[in-house]
Amino acid sequence: MTTTTEGGAAPAKARHGVNLHVLGPILALIALVIVGALMNSNFLSAGNVTNVLARSAFIGIIAVGMTFVITAGGLDLSVGSMAAFIAGLMILVMNLALPSMGVGLPVMLLGIATALVAGLVAGWINGILITTMRIEAFIVTLGTMGIYRSLVTWLADGGTLSLDFGLRTALQPLYYSGILGISWPIIVFAIVAIIGEVVMRMTAFGRYCAAIGSNDQVARYSSVNVNRMRLYTYVGLGLLVGIATIMYVPRLGSASSATGVLWELEAIAAVIIGGTVLKGGFGRVWGTVIGVLILSLIGNILNLTDAVSPYLNGAIQGVIIVLAVILQRESKAGD
Amino acid sequence: MTKHLMMGAAFSLLAAPVLAQETTVIGVSIPAATHGWAGGMNFHAQEAIDRLEEVYPELDFVLATASDPAKQVSDIEDMVAARGISALVVLPFESEPLTGPVKAIADQGVWVTVVDRGLSEPNIQDLYVAGDNPGFGRVSGEYMVSAMPDGGDIVVLRGIPTTIDNERVEGFQAAIEGSGINILGMEHGNWNRDDSFTVMQDFLSRYPEIDAVWASDDDMAVGVLAAIEAAGRDDIQFVLGGAGMKEMIQRVMDGDTMIPADVTYPPSMIATAIELTAVGVTSSAPVSGTFTIGSVLVTPENAENYYFPDSPF
Amino acid sequence: MASQTISQPRLALRSVDRSFGPVQVLHGIDIDLRPGEVHALIGENGAGKSTAMKIMTGYLAPTGGTVELDGKPVRFGSSETAEAQGVVLIHQEFNLAEQLTVEENVFLGRELRRGLFLDKAAMRRKTAGWLSELRCRVAPTDRVSDISNPDKQLVEIAKALGRDAKVIVMDEPTAVLTNSEAEALFEQIDRLRSEGAAILFTSHKLDEVKRISDRITVMRDGVVVTTKPTSEMSEDQMAEAMVGRELKDLYPVRRGALSETPALQVEGLTVPGHAEDVSFTLRQGEILGIAGLIGSGRTEAMEGLVGLRRHTGRVRIGGQDATIRTPKEAQELGLVYLTEDRKSRGLVLNMGLRENLTLTSLRQFAKPLLDRRAEEEALTKAIRDFDIRTPARDTLAKNLSGGNQQKLLIAKTMLAEPKIVIIDEPTRGIDIGTKQQIYDFIHRLAAEGTSVIVISSELPEVIGLSDRVLVMRRGRMAGEVAGADKTEDAIVRLAMGLGAASREEEPA
Repeated sequence: MTTTTEGGAAPAKARHGVNLHVLGPILALIALVIVGALMNSNFLSAGNVTNVLARSAFIGIIAVGMTFVITAGGLDLSVGSMAAFIAGLMILVMNLALPSMGVGLPVMLLGIATALVAGLVAGWINGILITTMRIEAFIVTLGTMGIYRSLVTWLADGGTLSLDFGLRTALQPLYYSGILGISWPIIVFAIVAIIGEVVMRMTAFGRYCAAIGSNDQVARYSSVNVNRMRLYTYVGLGLLVGIATIMYVPRLGSASSATGVLWELEAIAAVIIGGTVLKGGFGRVWGTVIGVLILSLIGNILNLTDAVSPYLNGAIQGVIIVLAVILQRESKAGD
Repeated sequence: MTKHLMMGAAFSLLAAPVLAQETTVIGVSIPAATHGWAGGMNFHAQEAIDRLEEVYPELDFVLATASDPAKQVSDIEDMVAARGISALVVLPFESEPLTGPVKAIADQGVWVTVVDRGLSEPNIQDLYVAGDNPGFGRVSGEYMVSAMPDGGDIVVLRGIPTTIDNERVEGFQAAIEGSGINILGMEHGNWNRDDSFTVMQDFLSRYPEIDAVWASDDDMAVGVLAAIEAAGRDDIQFVLGGAGMKEMIQRVMDGDTMIPADVTYPPSMIATAIELTAVGVTSSAPVSGTFTIGSVLVTPENAENYYFPDSPF
Repeated sequence: MASQTISQPRLALRSVDRSFGPVQVLHGIDIDLRPGEVHALIGENGAGKSTAMKIMTGYLAPTGGTVELDGKPVRFGSSETAEAQGVVLIHQEFNLAEQLTVEENVFLGRELRRGLFLDKAAMRRKTAGWLSELRCRVAPTDRVSDISNPDKQLVEIAKALGRDAKVIVMDEPTAVLTNSEAEALFEQIDRLRSEGAAILFTSHKLDEVKRISDRITVMRDGVVVTTKPTSEMSEDQMAEAMVGRELKDLYPVRRGALSETPALQVEGLTVPGHAEDVSFTLRQGEILGIAGLIGSGRTEAMEGLVGLRRHTGRVRIGGQDATIRTPKEAQELGLVYLTEDRKSRGLVLNMGLRENLTLTSLRQFAKPLLDRRAEEEALTKAIRDFDIRTPARDTLAKNLSGGNQQKLLIAKTMLAEPKIVIIDEPTRGIDIGTKQQIYDFIHRLAAEGTSVIVISSELPEVIGLSDRVLVMRRGRMAGEVAGADKTEDAIVRLAMGLGAASREEEPA
């Protein structure tokens, strides 16, 4: 007895599609690497590779969290402003504690704790408003985006918040040094990505996120605490924003209203390029990592060559984002 | 600070004496503090308003900051409709979109002072307080030439692609022409620390030998310095920023070899504009015309004059 | 009505084949639809009925054979071309724009205009006319997302009426309708038939097939088994032709005595707005039926009981007081609810079989990482135990036929190892062979000591399956029938509030 008739989908075709769907972002990344290597011999140098990976880390760490939020059918537009706000708060707290604590490990730990707690709280607020108060995620996070952006401007009095010079020197290793020549942002990004991938693919939480994003009613009828799982995605994202900020602050030792502008869109773009479905139900963390690298590499290659007018940087990024997504769509046309 | 006071028609539209009992409202519309220079400008605007409200009890000020041109147009319309302003001090977000609305207000008889960015039609305003962008580029270029008499290879970080940025870069290029200074590469760092950090990192990967950097802005200079420091490169002799951020002025004062000089583009020009407007509406002093605030080279010798520790910028 | 003079077929399939990739699902089928005739297409889930209907109406192209319209071969490039030529498919899953109004849906794509503007008044008037012919009480200005499923079905039919269809193909039109709504539909079908339309419909309700059709085509495994005038087939013959074997008694008989130990005691259960003061006791190993009209609050009361809705009342499980605020808490107490709405509440259609199977009881597989191998073993076991027929193990749930989706949903629910299971409409939209499997399974479950509550709108089912039947009416318990009083008549009387027919009736 054949049972395929009612659904109408062809299994063989679907399986063929899955391959392209998986390969799409990887092929795009490989193509970019080849283009970069051909255009500039320094492209593959250890220094440049380290630079690209390290600067990808902020968006990357945030995008891993965003993958869960989007997979569970949500969205968070506030992450860029949230990062700026947390950075400002962290600097302010550390500067304030400096006279009593002095430069040293305690004040650094205080700064780190501030960032983590602020991230957790900020994510929790988004999550509570979205789940318990049942307000659209787009609206809630659009609102908090404006709030955090204003708060950091206010904290900085319209200017720039700068970490005390001595503190900055003490904190700098968090961005610039690392283990075995691999800098901390890269290490942390890798750890976050690996944990994210494991959580998404191999834990009940990851499965619940996909189920909720696909059909939250089914999840509810299957004994899943939908609100709590959604809340966890936002809290997790907030925490990751905090972690990213911890490494952002030592880089330049400052935060202003220009910090983290458009990070949210870059993170969302990376997630979608990586193959996660914008309306939820399917997400993959490794894809997001590739998406982040693709975005960083475009900027890097354009900086390393004169082939294209810098005015067109945005256009090239846009074309590649759309292409990456089309590549995946075509393969899915089968169903 | 050299001021070229170039008086145009030496009569004022609002020279008629204003009744002392009546409150006159002056509207101030400026872009929001989205980068360091704008932050300083916001600070100076607020400070000037606070000061002038004490000096002139008959004056009332309304300040609005806008994050895009459309918001700025609405702000200005609201000021006219709801507050009945007699004078407007505006730093246009962009020239084109603001020209029409500001012209409409000027036609209603409101005094208009335009700051920094000119409108597309030059005859609308009563007073124009302008920064000198080509001059900013020229002063920077001239310093580069004097600091590197034998020439050298430099990289340039540009701001957000705008007329301002173009004028500065053209002024700079004209000043270094024939000096033996060679521009290896130019990229946009968008007057942003993070962007300039990234761009500088990539410049360092791309060019093994760079003699100096024209960061063209002090915020960008911060990012550039961090990138150089992180790469551990010692071929770069110095970085020239611009605008007069207090941290950078301090480094000039302290004789930092990486930051030997700075070029001003003072955000306090908004305060000058507000002050002149207040004078214009309260007295019969002739203040209309164009008032250009030139860019000055800051060196360890004169740095003290340009150091404002209370400003956020 | 049957065996009229044979006229030329309006629409015909001639030796039609259809393959999906390597899988051939239709093997040279011939069906002809004649004007002024109602043709019933019956067969088990997955026999190929849907594919055949989609080919007739332009949604799919045949891979072999031809489609003929009025004797001439045609190629419908799409469903729109087919509709333009008067061939309309009414979907089982509604094809309505949820955010538009009823009238906007009925006229979608062929709006009436007066000059540049839409002629809203005329469209509303016409829609209202068709709806009242169908005895559908929704207003043309109601938003589709706000109306009930039966009403959506009627709107779909009104949409076809508005398209002056010559050939109307209906995929299980009565699956979500009550008896009186179905009767109104049949009157419309009668009317369309008398006006010369050719109508094809599918149904799992063989009494309906007997009532309304002139001819019957039976499909099995992608071939046409037989086509006969309805007058020449009894319901038993239809069932046997579909299943391909003799059917023994549909409802199994309980062996052995029923335990007296209460498994679940409910007192004064109230779900605001839906159910009030519902009390009953469920014994261990018992199958308790709950009957009542659609909208009587059966489903809502049970959803309240398992924590899917806010509720008050006293619940005891195994003699212990239980507080149930969420389905998870209910599940931890061994109480699980299986929804009537398998497509939008039961299964994640875009996920695989394995992911669906283990969703409710995923914590069992998290140690803390999910044990993929254990999940696969559970799937293997479920496919075997519940006879889930699937094209492939790694297919998506949406690719299963309705009956197999239902079996997967039952398997998913049972994986949580409940002591008490509430099954809402266990066999809705399911063929007779699968029905029998599900009935057997429910009985096996009860024999093993699990207590079962069955909510059903099909009276023979609720009577044949249950030990006792509770009847709900307007959110309250209207009475209880058991033993010899367990008759359709008694249940209908209670459900309609037509006075006491049972001496066992308790005050609500």
